Amino acid sequence: MRGGPILRRVTQDRILGYLFLFPALLVIVGLVAYPFASAIVMTFQAKTAGAPGRFIGLDNYRELFGSEQFLRAVINTVAYTGIGVGLKFVFGLSMALVLNQERFCNNLFRSILLIPWAIPTVMSALNWRWIFDDASGLINNVLVRLNLIDETISWLSDPHLAMLSVIIVVVWQGTPFFTMSFLAGLQAIPKELYEAAEIDGASVLQQFSYITLPRLQPIFITAVMLSAILTSAGIQFVLILTNGGPSDRTMIFPVLAYHLALGGAQRLGMGAAVSLIFFPLLVVFIVFLTRRMLREKGE
Amino acid sequence: MALRVTTQRRVFKGVGNGALVLMLLWTLIPFYWMIATSLKHDKEIYGYEATLIPERPTLANYATVFRETPYLLFLRNSLAIAVGSTILSMVIACLAAYAIARLSFPGRALLARGLVFTYLVPTSLLFIPMFAMMSALRLTDSLHGLIIAYLGFDVPFCTWLLMGYFKSVPFDLEEAARVDGCNRVGALVRIVLPMSLPALVVVTFFSFTHAWNEFLYAHVFTSTTNARTVTTGLVNFMSQDVFFWGPLMASTVMSALPPVLMFLVFQRWVVKGLTLGGVKG
Repeated sequence: MRGGPILRRVTQDRILGYLFLFPALLVIVGLVAYPFASAIVMTFQAKTAGAPGRFIGLDNYRELFGSEQFLRAVINTVAYTGIGVGLKFVFGLSMALVLNQERFCNNLFRSILLIPWAIPTVMSALNWRWIFDDASGLINNVLVRLNLIDETISWLSDPHLAMLSVIIVVVWQGTPFFTMSFLAGLQAIPKELYEAAEIDGASVLQQFSYITLPRLQPIFITAVMLSAILTSAGIQFVLILTNGGPSDRTMIFPVLAYHLALGGAQRLGMGAAVSLIFFPLLVVFIVFLTRRMLREKGE
Repeated sequence: MALRVTTQRRVFKGVGNGALVLMLLWTLIPFYWMIATSLKHDKEIYGYEATLIPERPTLANYATVFRETPYLLFLRNSLAIAVGSTILSMVIACLAAYAIARLSFPGRALLARGLVFTYLVPTSLLFIPMFAMMSALRLTDSLHGLIIAYLGFDVPFCTWLLMGYFKSVPFDLEEAARVDGCNRVGALVRIVLPMSLPALVVVTFFSFTHAWNEFLYAHVFTSTTNARTVTTGLVNFMSQDVFFWGPLMASTVMSALPPVLMFLVFQRWVVKGLTLGGVKG
C-alpha cells in the first residue's frame, strides 16, 4: 500500500515544515550565525571596513592581553555587572514583596514602578546625563540649594565617581525587570502554604525563608543570568553617559570593542577579538538559560 | 517572646509603605526633571536663576525641535523601520512557530534550541561583523538595512514566544477544521492565529518597541541624516557643540511617549510575555 493517507500526511508535514521554517532559518543563518562566524575569522585579521582582511595570526589577541586598557575593561565589566545586577536584584525583590502586600491602588503603583523599563534606554541615558550635569543638573542644583556643597560635583567626569554614577542609572532602568519577574513568581505561590505555616506558628520571617525564597529560587537564577548577559553587553548607558572615560574608568568590553572597531583607526579585528574573548563567559549563561527556558516550555 | 504574626504583618506593612514611597520618588523624580526642563526657558535652565519648578512654563522648546531640527524626519524613519520590521518578523515568526509547534520533521528539537540560543546572543557581540557585512552589501545608511538587521533579534524572540502559545491551542479544533477541508495554512490563519491573539499583541509590542528603542545598530550603520532614527538623532544632538537641554529634553519626552503609552495599554499581556521570555534586564 504505497502512499497511504497517513504516510502522505507525514511527508506533507515534513515538506511544509521546512517550507514554513525557511525564512526564519535564513534570518538566523544570515543575521546571527554568519556574522558570528565571520567575527571569529576577523579576530585573526588586520581588517578595516570595506577592505579585505590580512591574516596576522594571534597578533590581535597578543596585543589585547598586553594592553592595560583591556585589563581595565575586564575588571570594570565584572564590577559593573556584579554591582549593577546585585543592586537590581535587591531592589527588585524588595519592590516585588512590597507590591505583593495588599494595598489601596496597588495596580497604579505597579504601573508607575515599571515605567523606567518601558522608556527607551537612550532616552533614560540622555535624561540622566542632564540630571548629572556639572553646572545645572538636578543633583548639583539641589545640593547647592541645600548648602551641602560649595563647588558642584562632576559626577560623570570625576574618576572616583563616574562608575558609581553609571551604575545608578543602570539600576534605575533595570530594577523593574526584576520587580516584574519576582512579582509574577510571588503571585504563583499558593496561599495555603502561608496559612498552614501560620497555624504551625511560623513567624513572617520564617515564612519568608522557608516558603518564599525556595519557591522563588528558579526565577532568581533565570532573572540574574538574563540580566547579567544584558547588563555586561549593554553598551548604551556607558556610551552616552561617559563614553568609557574618564581615563577608562567606565570602560566596559562592548564599549572598548566599539572604540577599537569604529573609532579613528577602524581596527575591526581588534574589536571583534574583544567581544569574542568575553563570549565564552556569556555562553555559559546562554546555554544554561536556553536549557531552562526550553524545559519550562516542555521542549 | 515572639510577636504575634498579625502584629508582625502590621510592622512589615508599615515598612512596605515607607519603601514604596521612596521607590515611587526614585522612579518619578527623573521623569519630573525631564518634563520640567522641557517646559522651561533657558534662563530657568542654566545659571543663577535656575529653578526646580518651571515658573513660567512654555512650549517654546517643543516648537524649536520641530522648527530647527530634522526631528520629524527621525520620527518618520523610526516609524517606518518599526512598522516594517514588525510586519516582517510577525509573518516569518508565525510560520516558523507553527512549524515547530505542530508539524513533525527531523531537526525540530534542535531548531527550537537554536532559536532560543540566537535570541540570547547580545547584539554587542555581533555589531562589528554586521557592520562589515552591511557595508559590503551597501545596506548602510538605509532604512531597509536596519529593518533587515532587526529581524536578527525579532524573529527568534517572536518565534519563541508564539511557539509556546500555539502549543496551547487545542489540537482538536484544528483537526475539526481540517476534516472540514481546511488545509494547514487555512488552519493556521483561521483557527490558531485568532486564538493566539494575546500572544500576537505581545509580539507586536516587543518588535515595535525594540525597533523604536534600538540604538547600537542604528548608530553604527548610519552616518547621514537621511536614515537617522529618533534614538541616534537625539544622541547626535547631544554630541554637537551647543548643548541645548531644553529642546533636547522636549524631544526626549516626545520620543519616550509612544513606547510608554503602548506599555501602559498592553501592560497585562506584556508583563506575562516578559516573564515567559524575558527581555532587556
